[in-house]
Amino acid sequence: MASKQFMVSRRGFLKLGVGAAATATAGGLLKARPAGAQGGLKPGFESKFTVCDMCFNKCSAIARVGDGVVRKLDPNPKFLKSRGMLCAKGNAGLHQLYDPNRLKYPLLRVGERGQGQFRRISWSEALDLAAAKMGAIAKEYTRCGMLFMAGADMQSTFVHRFAEAFGSYNVISHESNCLLSNNRAFLDTFGEVPIPDVLNSKYILMAGANRFESLVTPDSIDLMTTLREHGCKLVVLDPRYTKTAALANEYHAIRPGTDLALMLALMHVLINEGLYDKQFVAEKTYGLEQLRTHVQSYSPEWAAGQTDIPAEAIRRMARELAAAAPAAMVYPGRRSSDYANSTQIRRGFAMVNALLGNWDRPGGLTAARVVGLKGGIPLEAPFYEDNPPERVDSGQARLMFEEEGSFKLTRDAALKGEPYPIKGFFAYHVNPMQTGANRRKTIAMLNQMDFVMVMDVAMTDTAWMADLVLPSQTYLERLDPASAQQGSSACACVVQRDPVAPAMFEAQPVFFVVQELAKRLELGEHFDFTVEEFRAAQLADLPDAPQALAEDGVYYNPSRLYGVYEGKIYKTKSHKIELFNQRYAEAGLDPMPVYTAPAQPPAGQFRLVVGRNALITQSSSTSNALLLQMQPDNDLWIHPDSAARLGVKAGQRVAVTSPAGQQVLTARVTHETRPDTVYMHTGFGVMSRELAAYGRGGCIAAVLVDAVDEISGNMAMHETFVQVAAA
Amino acid sequence: MFKRSFTLVIALAILAGSLGLALAGDGNARKGKYLFRKNCRACHLENGKAKDLSPMDLTQAQWQKTFADPSKLACKDEFAKLSKDDLNDIMTYMVEGAKDSPTPAKCK
Repeated sequence: MASKQFMVSRRGFLKLGVGAAATATAGGLLKARPAGAQGGLKPGFESKFTVCDMCFNKCSAIARVGDGVVRKLDPNPKFLKSRGMLCAKGNAGLHQLYDPNRLKYPLLRVGERGQGQFRRISWSEALDLAAAKMGAIAKEYTRCGMLFMAGADMQSTFVHRFAEAFGSYNVISHESNCLLSNNRAFLDTFGEVPIPDVLNSKYILMAGANRFESLVTPDSIDLMTTLREHGCKLVVLDPRYTKTAALANEYHAIRPGTDLALMLALMHVLINEGLYDKQFVAEKTYGLEQLRTHVQSYSPEWAAGQTDIPAEAIRRMARELAAAAPAAMVYPGRRSSDYANSTQIRRGFAMVNALLGNWDRPGGLTAARVVGLKGGIPLEAPFYEDNPPERVDSGQARLMFEEEGSFKLTRDAALKGEPYPIKGFFAYHVNPMQTGANRRKTIAMLNQMDFVMVMDVAMTDTAWMADLVLPSQTYLERLDPASAQQGSSACACVVQRDPVAPAMFEAQPVFFVVQELAKRLELGEHFDFTVEEFRAAQLADLPDAPQALAEDGVYYNPSRLYGVYEGKIYKTKSHKIELFNQRYAEAGLDPMPVYTAPAQPPAGQFRLVVGRNALITQSSSTSNALLLQMQPDNDLWIHPDSAARLGVKAGQRVAVTSPAGQQVLTARVTHETRPDTVYMHTGFGVMSRELAAYGRGGCIAAVLVDAVDEISGNMAMHETFVQVAAA
Repeated sequence: MFKRSFTLVIALAILAGSLGLALAGDGNARKGKYLFRKNCRACHLENGKAKDLSPMDLTQAQWQKTFADPSKLACKDEFAKLSKDDLNDIMTYMVEGAKDSPTPAKCK
């Protein structure tokens, strides 16, 4: 399998007529677009299903291919999860494939780390070197001395599998820089992470989520449909006037970090006015009486002083939510790497939904549906007796997800060398140099490593710091495992990815890399299969799936959507939905969220919040040629009163400084942020000179401080105060 | 500092007290996962001889009960082949990832 892929790639490379010796540098000297790519769409082109990889949503799409060249990407009208949509980023996916700056060959660092000096080496040299380095690290520091990190990619499962077979417990995903607080909170309340039934909802309270710009399918599309066609009311709470706020029925510029005060006040009104779903709460929840006592001091009048939202509005929101329930929701949201108490904040979101019975019924939060995809080919990983007992980041966050880990806590441990050294790093399709708050610490962590290997499509900032850089195929060139997708009332479905164009240059899939490394490290038996065989094992229980995937690009499982929990226990300690969490009490955590007012910025400083718009998927999209035209950089959003006080004018360059570092970018003087809050988009201020976005905007990771959610180990980025001054 | 299984130890101590268990449930869950795959997944596998099995398929109390008295199970002879330490490790793995545990686990 692996050698066949390699040969195909070589043939494709030669067929493209690219002068193999034209360059030996990392850079974009080669023209990546193959001959023939300049023309328009000729008659007789082929249409091939693919699965988008421009963000995590994995939308089915159709590639229009002529003469082996992808000419255009279109949405798949049969893909219900995206409602037949392909967004701006999805349309721009073509430019990832034909990006002249993409990585083409394995590269070995020849200068100092981070200086961008590499030489081209062969795959066999690269793999031999990597296997030797990993073997040496295992010998000297135990196998847990290797740290693995893989992004939200359909082949990341193979990196996890390799790490387990190799014997390191230290595997982290991107998620501990993103959504783990929210997952922890809903898991500790409902026993699972719900999927919102946005389409059928009549009242949506959205706090800190920006669904019209930060797209999640089907929620973003369904939100518009339900607002326009179903009379749903949308209330947005955000310190920033987002596009979602602009299209909401009601908007409040809530003081950052005070969402929990609002949730507690909503619960105060729902309980004291008897507006909660009494039957649902009696039958399905645990701890109402404790909660009733707990929320008495959290009145709307009290919350108004914390949130800057009038008490009357809070009271009205509670009543409106109750009137619409159970077809109503406090929207769970996604990224929740905000505050040191983000899990407790998100517990507040979950508990309001529990009181209203917005669960397992139309228009509320729904359980994961049965998709029927199996785990693939089973792994029987060895057990290494000489390994340390636990992950390097264990014993700190009280309820860290063992399978996800914590980037923040792992990095701290690696920097201290305690409880044991971390001396090797293998990152695949993930870029913590841009997404992990406090870039200086990430650089320091990488600098203390004996060996850093990064595989990606482009020379990301993390690759820029690597010793060995491996070129990954883009999603349009790859054969990937099948993936299960959840879309509440839209669908429960399976997608899979087949190559739609020949692989460019010497790019390979990560499956090839881990299979070849496994062979060299005497772990070959754990990768003794092809991706096709792995996929067939995944689909073993879905006999109709292969045909549906071939004909429609998607397989739907018409599984139960509502009433999934009828007659079943909840996956919590009490076997009910937990308003009062007993495990938290046992662990010395607040069993019900207790509000602590967030620290206020010192005089003359601002709280920094970050986010993105519909053209940005962090740094993986900001160097895309098409998207860069529309979003050429990021700037600092600052309120006119604050700007005037500092003597800063619109368009002026400003230095943004925190204890983590300083970035210089352009001031965007706007009423669309609160006077005490400044804002930046993610994905700019890159260090890698091989990226088209180099020299544009500022990097969030270089100014965000790295606080941590004490329960989940998630990064807490919005605990950052910055000074702003004319540069 | 605290052990990852801090709540589990308390819960198991209480359960063990009430059921009079032979196994303490304070074993090595990682080794338990390895031993489960090696010894149990030969049959308890997707499309295997016995029902596919993961820690999240049963509650903590159900796993306790299973390990306290395997005499009624079809695979009771397989249980008998394992040492007490190995059984303790496997039970620890199953209970730590049970359906009603803090983080229900599927065995891949």
